[in-house]
Amino acid sequence: MSTDKSPATPSSRSAALSLDTWAVIAALLLALAVRFDILKNVPW
Amino acid sequence: MASATSVSRVESDNRLLNAPSIVPGVLLLAGIGYAAKILERSINTYAKAHHWTFPNIEYVLWAILIGLVISNTLAVPKILQAGIATYEFWLKLGIVLLGARFVLADVLKLGGISLALVVVEITVSLALMTFLGRLFKLKPKLISLLAIGSAVCGVSAIIAAKGAIDADDEDSSFAIAAILALGALALFTFPAIAHSLHMNDVSYGLWAGLGVDNTAEATAAGALYSDAAGKVAVLAKTARNAMIGFVVLAYAIYWAGRGQGETVRNKAAFLWRKFPKFILGFLLISVLVSGHAFSKGQVTSLGNLSKWAFLLTFAGVGLRTNFRDMSKQGLRPFIVGALGEILIACLTLGLVVGANRIWGL
Repeated sequence: MSTDKSPATPSSRSAALSLDTWAVIAALLLALAVRFDILKNVPW
Repeated sequence: MASATSVSRVESDNRLLNAPSIVPGVLLLAGIGYAAKILERSINTYAKAHHWTFPNIEYVLWAILIGLVISNTLAVPKILQAGIATYEFWLKLGIVLLGARFVLADVLKLGGISLALVVVEITVSLALMTFLGRLFKLKPKLISLLAIGSAVCGVSAIIAAKGAIDADDEDSSFAIAAILALGALALFTFPAIAHSLHMNDVSYGLWAGLGVDNTAEATAAGALYSDAAGKVAVLAKTARNAMIGFVVLAYAIYWAGRGQGETVRNKAAFLWRKFPKFILGFLLISVLVSGHAFSKGQVTSLGNLSKWAFLLTFAGVGLRTNFRDMSKQGLRPFIVGALGEILIACLTLGLVVGANRIWGL
């Protein structure tokens, strides 16, 4: 398992975000969009 | 297939940053998902109009079947593969948004029951797979990977453990292929068994979450039974996923003691690194909804967004399942996996029936 020993630059840090973290960020952005009525009445 | 799956899973993190390359595959996932929804509605309408008695085949099954037909009859072009690999992103996005459909009290009650059952399930599964692996004389690290994959959460757990115990690619591919093949079988066997036993939605959801290994297949197996069962399956599977760090840490320490694995200096940092962060997102959304941060209509919208994300996931489950590639991975790991999974399915069924009697699920 790799351990990060090199100093993280902003770009390497963003590239290192896991799939889970991206999913959480996307979900929270969607939740905000729904909360502030940018996305309204999403159909199914 | 299996190695391709593990590679695509690892690469998919970076592919998300490369949006143009994923567009064609994501469009395919969306197209299959939408076609599945239309098929469900059209066939039901047609059957009703013509007074046919026709079983309701849910969009979940149509999406998986269309994906299966494409991946097993056509060669999926390379340009689509990056987008198809994002199905796991849609799965996790769907799970986080699903938090909107759980009041925190339900999460705590069902999550607590799930956690209690998960501890028993993991302990017995690890012991059982280790025993079967030794009986069939599999390689020790392959046994570890199969045990972790079947006890915790399928492909994610195997990938998490691979580096920690310094397992080779071939063993990981065997283990992933066995887990995926058995997950595909569970999609069809679990709902059929549950229907024959007349299980209620909560009991079945718990069983699917505890007994089906890979998160995508557990979610699909739950949703194939009913919407409510799908919700519970995700919650139970999420409780199982939360244990991934502890199990991988135990195996890492075991193999490091034999000079064949990662030396873990900071156990807390290791646990945090392995902890599935989407669980925190799921809990956060549930807390916000329980605290009335969203109106009723907004909660419905979040729930529907979750369903759309799952729709893409189910299409991906079908598309990445290639039986020909799986059959190339060898029989012995598959037999060990199958025997173990059947026994674990029986065990978890017994646990859920017992929990139903004790807590009245």
